[in-house]
Amino acid sequence: MRLLLPPRVTEKSFQRALDAFASVVGKPWVLATDLDRETFMDFYAAGDADEHVPSAAVGPQSVEEVRAIVRIANEYKVPLWPISRGKNLGYGAAAPCLTGTVVVDLGRMNKILEVNERFGYCLIEPGVGFFDLFNYLQANNIKLWMSVPANAWGSVVGNALERGYGYTPYGENTRNICGLEVVLPNGDLVRTGTGAMANSTSWQLFRYGYGPSWDQLFVQSNFGIVTKMGMWLMPEPEATLGLNIQLPNPDDVGWAVDELAPLRMRGVIEQSPSIGNSLRFVATRTQRSEWYTGEGALPDAVLREILKKNGFGWWTINLRLYGYEEVNEVHARIIKEAFRRHIQQEIEVVKWRRGDPIENSGAGVPSTQALQIVNWRGGRGGHIGFSPVLPATSEHVLKQFHSTKRRYEEIGVDYYGSFTLFERYTTNVNMMVYDRDDREMTSKVRALFKVLIADAAKEGYSEYRTHLSYMDDVALTFDFNNHALRRLNEAVKDTLDPNGILAPGKQGIWPRALRADRA
Amino acid sequence: MRRVPTSRWRDLLAKRALLCAAVTWLAVAGVPAHAGDDSAQQVKQGKKLFEQRCGFCHLAGGTGTIMLARRLGKERSLLSERTDLSAEYIQKITRVGINSMPPHNRIEVPDSELNLITTYLTRPASARTAADTGSTSGTP
Repeated sequence: MRLLLPPRVTEKSFQRALDAFASVVGKPWVLATDLDRETFMDFYAAGDADEHVPSAAVGPQSVEEVRAIVRIANEYKVPLWPISRGKNLGYGAAAPCLTGTVVVDLGRMNKILEVNERFGYCLIEPGVGFFDLFNYLQANNIKLWMSVPANAWGSVVGNALERGYGYTPYGENTRNICGLEVVLPNGDLVRTGTGAMANSTSWQLFRYGYGPSWDQLFVQSNFGIVTKMGMWLMPEPEATLGLNIQLPNPDDVGWAVDELAPLRMRGVIEQSPSIGNSLRFVATRTQRSEWYTGEGALPDAVLREILKKNGFGWWTINLRLYGYEEVNEVHARIIKEAFRRHIQQEIEVVKWRRGDPIENSGAGVPSTQALQIVNWRGGRGGHIGFSPVLPATSEHVLKQFHSTKRRYEEIGVDYYGSFTLFERYTTNVNMMVYDRDDREMTSKVRALFKVLIADAAKEGYSEYRTHLSYMDDVALTFDFNNHALRRLNEAVKDTLDPNGILAPGKQGIWPRALRADRA
Repeated sequence: MRRVPTSRWRDLLAKRALLCAAVTWLAVAGVPAHAGDDSAQQVKQGKKLFEQRCGFCHLAGGTGTIMLARRLGKERSLLSERTDLSAEYIQKITRVGINSMPPHNRIEVPDSELNLITTYLTRPASARTAADTGSTSGTP
């Protein structure tokens, strides 16, 4: 990919900035060839990846190097896009929102600085991947469990900062954050919470500190570059008990939510069970062409046949209880009774006790197998996810499910959705899987995405995370008091980052100078 | 260690028709699959790096292995057992990706590491087996 400069930056000024970056990190860690730019683009883009093209990348190895890079960026007005490991697949990967932005790849900052088994936390740098931390815990026989997303190729820090999810009772990854170290857009360095006290003994223990609490300010934002994160890890339980439940019919998701949500809120279920349409399992094991080669979305009758042959219901729930064995047994009985009010088929039970192989435990064990789904359509696969948040009731879930499925069918894309239950809400992740070389399909997917944003907004459902190309669209749906939240975000942005150098456009937050361009 | 010449490398980068181009290179690649006399130590280092950097997907049971089994057959699904991969092909695919496999940048896998990985994957099977002695486990 040829060089595309950031707005209002001359080639001469840009080259000077690159030279200055090289004087900080060393020439090998400033990447600015055509090939380098390719490697930081959105590989899974639906359609044209050229919307989000980096001009270069720089790879610091220390906090001081990050601070120096930020100061240089301010001097030359070169925008920066920090990434932890760049595996935000389906949301833009390593690519920046604004073309011409320099990617700051923090992958070389990959130290596990501390793991505290007694208090259940770690302090890590952004380049630490899920596999790295898992291997460290295993190699050192540390009895702490991680919360790991479906595709675990990425960074522990990056995933928590993007509000990623895992499947254990610690599955809300952003909620596990306890104490950040952050380089501000002016190059200053702060520590949040009690870490603001130079000799703090509770940085990774007490979330709030004294006065305003800032951790969430740096989540899904462009207000700073996180260089260290404290994260709570779950003590290994005595036992786990898994319940694998098949729901035969599409509308069963409604009563299932109504039965499970109160149990989730009361703590009978502590993790966040995902009710997913079973096509997701079939799509990771087979290709569509093995089942159906016709036009349009997979017909319901064909899907039924596929699910029957594979032994799945329309929806699958993999629910897991963690804790003391006796307590798990009691909770399992309560859950089974709830389901028996609706279905009679056998519920598969999977039991694990401390000392058994970890693979069957329900612990967060990193894997990349979820990526198999991109192979569903064949060709050069890709995926993108639309993920609104709804109240956890059958009324909302059924409305959203039917509306989304109908939209998928209108454009001929197979429906692939799940509802994951938290205490009070559910996240509805809708995956769109496509062949990137099928221009007609990718343009339909892009159109579908905008329609889904509008449909959801009309019902009062907001997205919790989105792809680069839709950050502005989603931000626009937060419209209370004529977009007061945007005004607040912009006021903070302009105060902390007057030159607008940090991640312009992230989550729809643009610095003053670029807002004028976009008006 | 044999390096791909820079000018040719750039030429290759200009071509983005991934699979077709890759197949062409297999036929015309200037770097023979089993060239060189790299030391056993380099092969061992390459194996370790392969497991660390590529093992997420390309060890037994990994998502890359599963995809390759589907596309090319089980006998060609494990990269560490392949004998038909040229150095040029490995380096190209690592940097630009192929099908569902995303690209790997030079911070994630620096050229020096990619060269060692390439060394490992292009040695004869017997040399790779020798590298197993005293190596790390298969867990990435």
